[in-house]
Amino acid sequence: MGNAARTKARARTAGQARSARQKIAESRAADRRAGVRRRLLLAGGSVAVVLALVATLIAVKLGQSPPRSAPPAGAHTAAQVQQQVTSVPAATFNAVGSGNAAGLSTITGQPALTIDGKPEVLYIGGEFCPYCAAERWAIAAAVSRFGALSGLSLIHSAPSDSYANTPTLSFAQASYTSKYLAFVPVEWFGEAADPSNPFGHVYLQHPTAQEQALFARYGSQAIPFLDIGNRYILPEVQYIPSSLAGLSWTQIATAMHDPSSPVAKDIDGAANIITAAICTLTHGQPAGVCHSAGVQAAAGSL
Amino acid sequence: VRRAQPLGWLPRTVLVLCVLGFADSGYQVYTHFSGTGLLGCSTSTDPCVLDQNSIYAWVFGIPVAVYGLAFFAFMIVICSPWAWRSRLRVIRQARTAAVVTGMIFVLYLIYREVISLGRICPYCTSVHVITVLLFGLLMYDVAGSGLPRPVTAGEASHGN
Repeated sequence: MGNAARTKARARTAGQARSARQKIAESRAADRRAGVRRRLLLAGGSVAVVLALVATLIAVKLGQSPPRSAPPAGAHTAAQVQQQVTSVPAATFNAVGSGNAAGLSTITGQPALTIDGKPEVLYIGGEFCPYCAAERWAIAAAVSRFGALSGLSLIHSAPSDSYANTPTLSFAQASYTSKYLAFVPVEWFGEAADPSNPFGHVYLQHPTAQEQALFARYGSQAIPFLDIGNRYILPEVQYIPSSLAGLSWTQIATAMHDPSSPVAKDIDGAANIITAAICTLTHGQPAGVCHSAGVQAAAGSL
Repeated sequence: VRRAQPLGWLPRTVLVLCVLGFADSGYQVYTHFSGTGLLGCSTSTDPCVLDQNSIYAWVFGIPVAVYGLAFFAFMIVICSPWAWRSRLRVIRQARTAAVVTGMIFVLYLIYREVISLGRICPYCTSVHVITVLLFGLLMYDVAGSGLPRPVTAGEASHGN
């Protein structure tokens, strides 16, 4: 074979090898492209499913009908509800124990909070606030076991907030007398909106500088705030207001007398826990309350 | 001694997201236990404080922020350069299982925020967004786990 023929044959072989390598490279590139498509499809599909679920949640929320403002209560109803809330029988409290309510947090190493030698229970809340709405029922029932609570008015939490229009009591005009205890309620905010204020609602009553200092120290910037003699505070809500949804004030007050009702398990349970905390400050007085089975059972939740 | 191969864009991005999520969750845990309040939420407390103090802010008695911190701490370990270079299959499986679990938990928290509370906390939402991005990236990684590796220049020259 001549030189020219050998060169031609080498060139042909080299061309065939290049062509084979090119085909392999193209095939691998196609595989890679398919792989990237598959990866994008799976990753994008997974994220799309997640986003679709979130969008569904938002759509469900937006689709819920806006809550209507609830009608105001009459004076007769207010007196009737107040009477029922402040006179829950001991047998009912005993049957409920701590119910479904959550406990309190303990504070140590702080000077006792007192007024005229009596332990002080300080409540700071707002009329708009749904969690305050839940807590007030229990506070009213608890402090009524140590003295006389009056001047309660009937309100709803804000219609624009979560747990909208939760029926509740207001302490704004309340008065309290007791030989064991001082109860100081402060309804810091009303229901009307005011975006320029903290919590976005108008001021109703102003806490003193000392009360604000306690709120700043222990309150986690959240209401409801409940300080029981600087020994116990409310770490969160004791129960969620969902059990009160759709009920009237009268229905709630009546249900508080029925130990088998979900309302009693929430409100009376929370009241027993608050009562047990107060009893540690009143040195077990009055004995009939502090030594009752319900309070003793709830003391375990402190 | 073999020089460690540099990590690609995906492991680096995942690690950065894990660190961001850890910092965000850590801040929320700190404010939760110190009671100092989240920055920017002290005056307009509606969403952040109500979310953080709601009944849903605890799961089995533990603040949800603590779960977030634990999740991102685990993800940092499992998405570290050492873990990405490891050939152990169990590491990839653990990474996938963790991010799927995290994603389900985030969906539960979004449900509570949107439906139960009607309040969206920006700090929580930032953690949720980070988790969704992690989920997408790690699903992208999982989908590529069965594919042939691209041929490198060195391997190509050996083949010649």
